[in-house]
Amino acid sequence: MSRMEKFRQLFKKSVTVPRGKGALALALAVVLMVLPFAARGQLGLDPCCAIIAAGLDSISGLLNSVVGKPLGVIQQLEQDAANFEQQVVYPIKAIDNARALAGQMQAQLREMTQLYQLPTGSATLPGPQQLEQALLSHNPQALTQITQNYAAVYGQIIAPGDAQQDMRDFVDMTDAEAQAALKKALELDAIADVELAAADQINQQIQSAAPGSAPILEAQTGAWLVRANAYSQSAMAELMRVHSIDLAGSSAQLKFSAAQTKALRTSTGQILAR
Amino acid sequence: MRIIQRGRHSIAVLVVSLILLVPITARAGLTDIITLINTITSTIENTIGTALAAMQTLDASLNDFRQQVLFPLTLINRAKAFVGQVRAQFTSLTGQIHAIEISSATLPNPQQLEAVLRHGQSGDMNQVATGFYKVFTPVPLPSDAAPADRDLVDVDDAMAMSSIKLGMISDQATQQMLGVADGIERAAATAAPGSAPLLTVQAEVANLQNQAMLQRVLASELRQAAARLAHNNSLRKRSSAATRQLRDHMQQILSRP
Repeated sequence: MSRMEKFRQLFKKSVTVPRGKGALALALAVVLMVLPFAARGQLGLDPCCAIIAAGLDSISGLLNSVVGKPLGVIQQLEQDAANFEQQVVYPIKAIDNARALAGQMQAQLREMTQLYQLPTGSATLPGPQQLEQALLSHNPQALTQITQNYAAVYGQIIAPGDAQQDMRDFVDMTDAEAQAALKKALELDAIADVELAAADQINQQIQSAAPGSAPILEAQTGAWLVRANAYSQSAMAELMRVHSIDLAGSSAQLKFSAAQTKALRTSTGQILAR
Repeated sequence: MRIIQRGRHSIAVLVVSLILLVPITARAGLTDIITLINTITSTIENTIGTALAAMQTLDASLNDFRQQVLFPLTLINRAKAFVGQVRAQFTSLTGQIHAIEISSATLPNPQQLEAVLRHGQSGDMNQVATGFYKVFTPVPLPSDAAPADRDLVDVDDAMAMSSIKLGMISDQATQQMLGVADGIERAAATAAPGSAPLLTVQAEVANLQNQAMLQRVLASELRQAAARLAHNNSLRKRSSAATRQLRDHMQQILSRP
C-alpha cells in the first residue's frame, strides 16, 4: 500500500467516524485563524503598510503645503482686512464721537427752535392786535379768521356806487393778493414748525445710527430738504405775485389818472363851449 | 457512499472559502488604498489647492483694492488735513467778513434803535418798541386821528416791529447755526470714512433746520409786502369813500333851492 493510499484510508476513517464533523469544523476554524491578515499585520512586514504610510505622509505633506499654508495666508489677509476696517475705515471712537456730536447739536438746534417761538407781536390797538394774533399763530386753522380781521383793519371792498367797476376790480384783486400772501406766510410758519420737528426726530435717530444706516437717514433728510426748498419756492412765488400786483397797481393808478384827466378835460371843454 | 459525498462537499466549501477570503481580499485592499490615496492627493492638490489659491488671490486683491483704491490711508489723511486747511483759510475769513460793522446811523435815537436791532439778543426785544417809537413816533392819539388811520398806522408799525424782532432772532440763530457748522467741520477733520456719513446726516439736518428758519424770515417778508399792498389799497378805498362823500355833499349843495 502506497503512502497515498494509506492517507486516503485514514481520511475515510476520519470522515466515517461520528467525530468527523467536529474535526472538519476545527480544521476550518484553524484555517480561518491563520488567515494572512492577522499574521501579516502583526508582523508589519506587509508592503501594504509601507504604501499606506507613504500615502498618509504624502497627504499630510499636501495638507500642510497645499491647504495649510494658503489657509494661513487667507487668515492673515482676513485679519489684516478686519484690522484695516476697525482701525482706519470704521474706528469705533470716531463713530462714537460723531454720535456724541449729534447729541450736542440737538441741544443747539432746540435752542434755536425755541428762539423762533418767542412772541414778536407788536400791535397796540384791538383791530390790528386781532389780525396780528392770527397772522403769527402758526396755526393753519386761523386762516379763516384772516379775511375778517383783514377787513376790520384795511376796510371792506368798495361799494358798487362808490367807484367805477374797474377800480373796484383793481382794489379787490389787490386785497386778494395781500390776503393770500398773509395766508401763505401763516402756512409757511406752520410748515417750518413741522420741518423743525422732523429735523429734531432725525437728529435723535442719528445718535443711535450706524455708519451703514446713516445714508438712509441722509436720504430721508435730503428728501425733507427738497420738500422744504419746494415750500420756500412756493413762498417766493407768492412774494413775487405781491410785487407784481403792487407794480400793476402803480401802473393802474397812472391809467386811472390819465382817464380822469381826460374826463376832466372833456368836461372843461364842454363847459367852456357853452 | 453518501458519507464520502458529504466529505467532498465540505472540502469544496473549505477550498472556495479559502480562495474567496484570503488572496483576493489582500490584493484588492492594496489597490484600493493606492487608488484612494491617489484620489485624496489629487483632490487636495487640484480641487482644494486650486480653490484655496484662488481665494487667497481674491482676498489679497480685495484687500489691495480696499487699501489702495477705496480707502487709501494717505488720501484719508490728506482729506483730513485738507479740512483743517480749508477751515483755517476760509472759515475765519468768512467770520471776519460777517463781523464787519454795518451800522450807519448818526443821530442818537436812530443809533440807539440800530444798536438794538443789529446787535441785540432775543432778550432785548422789549427795547424795540421804545426805540422804534422814538424814531418813527408813536400811534396818534384817538383825538388826533381817525380810528381807521390809527389802525392802519398801528398795523404798519406792528408789521415793521415784528419783522425787526424776527431779524434779531434770526441773527442770533444765525450765530448758533454758524457754531453748528463749525462743530461739524471740526469733527470732519478727525472723522473716518465710516463715521463721515453720520456727520453728513447731521449737516443735512442742520440744513433742514436752516431752511425752516429761512422760511420764517420769508414769511415775515411776505407779511410786510402784503401789508404794504394792503396799506395802499386801503388808501384807495378811503379815497373812493371820500370821493363819494364829496359827491354827496356837492349834490346836496347844488340841490339847495
